[in-house]
Amino acid sequence: MFFLKIKVMRFLKILLAAVAAFSLNISTFAQKLSGTVFEITEEGEQPLPGVNIYWAGTTTGTASDVDGKYKIKKPADAHDLVFSFVGFESDTIHAPHNSNKYDHVMRGSKTLDEVSVVTRAKTNFVSRLSTVNAQTITSGELQKAACCNLSESFETSASVDVSYSDAVTGAKQIELLGLSGIYTQMMSENMPNLRGLATSFGLGYVPGSWMESIQVSKGASSVLNGYESISGQINVEYKKAEESEKFFMNLYQSHMGRSELNFNTKTKMNEHAHAMVMGHWSRNGSKHDDNGDGFLDDPLYTQYNLFARTDFRGKNFEGQFGVKGLMENRRGGQIGFDHDKPRDVDNGYGIELLTERIESFLKTGFIFSRPQTSVGIQQQFTYHHMDTYFGLTDYEGTQYSYYGNVLFQSYISSTKHTYTTGVSYLYDRYEEQLNDSIFNRTESVPGVFYQYTYSDGAKLNFIAGLRLDHHNEFGFFATPRLHLRYGFNEHNIVRLSAGKGYRSANILAENTSLLASSRQLVVRNAPKMEEAWNYGINFSKHIIVNDRELTIGLDIYRTDFINQVVIDRDADAQKVLIYNLDGTSYSNSIQLEANYELLKGLDVTAAVRFNDVQMTLNNELQEKPLVNKYKGLIALSYATNLRKWQFDLTTQFNGVSRLPSTASNPEAYRLDDYSPAYTIMNAQVTKFFRNWNVYLGAENLTNYKQENPILAANDPFGKYFDSSIVWGPISGIKVYAGLRYTIE
Amino acid sequence: MPDYAIPLNNNLIHKTMKRLINIIVLSLILLPIALMAQDDKKKKTETVKIQTSAICEDCKARLEKDIAFEKGVRAVELDEETKIISITYKIGKNDKESLKKAITKIGYDADEMPADQKAHDKLPDCCQKGATPHK
Repeated sequence: MFFLKIKVMRFLKILLAAVAAFSLNISTFAQKLSGTVFEITEEGEQPLPGVNIYWAGTTTGTASDVDGKYKIKKPADAHDLVFSFVGFESDTIHAPHNSNKYDHVMRGSKTLDEVSVVTRAKTNFVSRLSTVNAQTITSGELQKAACCNLSESFETSASVDVSYSDAVTGAKQIELLGLSGIYTQMMSENMPNLRGLATSFGLGYVPGSWMESIQVSKGASSVLNGYESISGQINVEYKKAEESEKFFMNLYQSHMGRSELNFNTKTKMNEHAHAMVMGHWSRNGSKHDDNGDGFLDDPLYTQYNLFARTDFRGKNFEGQFGVKGLMENRRGGQIGFDHDKPRDVDNGYGIELLTERIESFLKTGFIFSRPQTSVGIQQQFTYHHMDTYFGLTDYEGTQYSYYGNVLFQSYISSTKHTYTTGVSYLYDRYEEQLNDSIFNRTESVPGVFYQYTYSDGAKLNFIAGLRLDHHNEFGFFATPRLHLRYGFNEHNIVRLSAGKGYRSANILAENTSLLASSRQLVVRNAPKMEEAWNYGINFSKHIIVNDRELTIGLDIYRTDFINQVVIDRDADAQKVLIYNLDGTSYSNSIQLEANYELLKGLDVTAAVRFNDVQMTLNNELQEKPLVNKYKGLIALSYATNLRKWQFDLTTQFNGVSRLPSTASNPEAYRLDDYSPAYTIMNAQVTKFFRNWNVYLGAENLTNYKQENPILAANDPFGKYFDSSIVWGPISGIKVYAGLRYTIE
Repeated sequence: MPDYAIPLNNNLIHKTMKRLINIIVLSLILLPIALMAQDDKKKKTETVKIQTSAICEDCKARLEKDIAFEKGVRAVELDEETKIISITYKIGKNDKESLKKAITKIGYDADEMPADQKAHDKLPDCCQKGATPHK
């Protein structure tokens, strides 16, 4: 009922804002904006004549004169000013509110930024001109919560849900558009990453302070990055050597016993090259079992993570090289379990995961003298090894992976029509062993792709892409993708997307949480490639209310599976049946989000999302288990004048979700059909000083917990033991504090 | 609900923790309200205007951010046209001369006081004296 009240209140607030917008007298007082446009040449900055300058969404504008100077009328509601000139990246800037003067430097030809071989973009929100529906979470946003790693970076996002996959290992998964994280393509710096063996724990391998920003795109993404995105794409941009701070350090401590230390430092090697080192150490050393089920609520772990990168920027050539190394050991299970003693029923139930991972990438790009023409080569090599046991079950896996992508970009007749084409190659070698069974396989997928982009410079943007890949086991397959953006004006934008996505399932690596149970894994038929269509529409609206901007977004997405590797926990409560989809499986997701500065310094984001996800399980079309039917979010962020103090309060309302059927279990081990709806609150206070800031916060303020997250915790070696049915928080309130120190 | 015997110690620690956490939570909610109230107190402050050698928007951001952390400063704004910085501060906590000195330490001229040379040279190229004004 509390939720209904919020719903009504929220509706009233939006109604009020709409009424206010209509009754506002739009000022007709037009000011003038003037300045000079420059380009960068060998002699430094030179004025550039003939640059087209106009307000986004309009056709009227002006051009810079022979001295590069311009003057343009500034309508009261104008926002984005576009600077466009043949051979240069079209620049859109947010017109300064308090000033009538603005000088602009045209950026170089659109080249590697497009394929992000070397990304120059800073932590800006994706401009309204972006064709793909992508939301950017900047490092400023990330600092609102003590997000220690990627899994904790979505607390203020209404689109991405993060939950524990089980109650024992600490493995986390995300959910986007109602679908599990495996259907979202994870990328780092525009190259696929955190896949294969890294799926279950990969979110914990990306420290929060290493990230510059995260881009979350919904729906089918560009064909340039491969075929693996079905419900969306999450791209992590790490801090770059050239733009980052000279030195940064972060210390974190939680009252539950988790400690973290991060640092990064950079150096300028010469005019063209920079190098950077980022380090991370984290540890959870204290055992606690607050729900009294005999099992550790959070596993004990220690992680070392190191990343070194260099980048080089020459006149026509750019390059980036990086190496990452990670080592983690993780222990959990029953409190009494002794890891040094042999494993048997007397010792208790214990889990251990030892992980080593090495990643290395090389990106190179060449810019040709023809405008908007470049070639980029991305390469990444990954080695991942995990040695694990869950009770008496042993699992060991090794993965060698190589990714290569060559992209050539240019235009046809005019820069209105640009295209990118290229070839890619993906190689994976998996060597897995589950108890006595060995599973080795190799995947080799070469592919070609072509993507055409049309932009009329004002209202319409259009991206059409097609790729053709050949999988050594599954043969040829084609991936079409389409994106469209239409701006009625700069305040009202609609985006459409449609496309296909594929992925090959890694049954063991993606379901390690099911190994932390007594369920027997039964693979009914050889898994085929997962295949799905995704369609979506997004509306964005911007309204000025009381001098400040109200942003409203509506997302409607549908995903339809043609084939899915179904993980069925319903057919038999003591088994996990794995088989190719026989019937329908779909996901409908609708989300409404609004953002507004309610009072001076107080930023408010409110969102509500409904999921309708059904799949054919056990020959019956059922709700997919553990997917919330609805979710609500209210995020408040208040910063004092001069931003010396910042307060953040986030409230999440999670709706009911269907639980896998345990009706055949004895009564003591039966769960309800649905999990309850619950509320989670997080808060943080940050005090800023010149070079450093301190923060104090609490997660799960209401101390809400899923009682007894482990089924049959009192009999872990019996046949009813299952720690994978987790729908809510396992630990209660967590208080933490930390410090960040920066030298620019 | 399975019947485990909950040890008494755990319960007591739990209670104390709960109390401590309640205090922290309460302060997290009250502190912003207290500070919001404080923000409205505009009395006993003075505003001074100082001419600086700032050039571009980078300089404006840099100066505004750095001066904000000087003692007692309540508001800072640099006028982009005139390059004059207006600083509002609490009387007693600071004065015009100290603020001018702070500006020179960042690397800019302040009225008649010249910029600290070392600090000036560390500034990015666009902010160095004599550079062409641009974004």
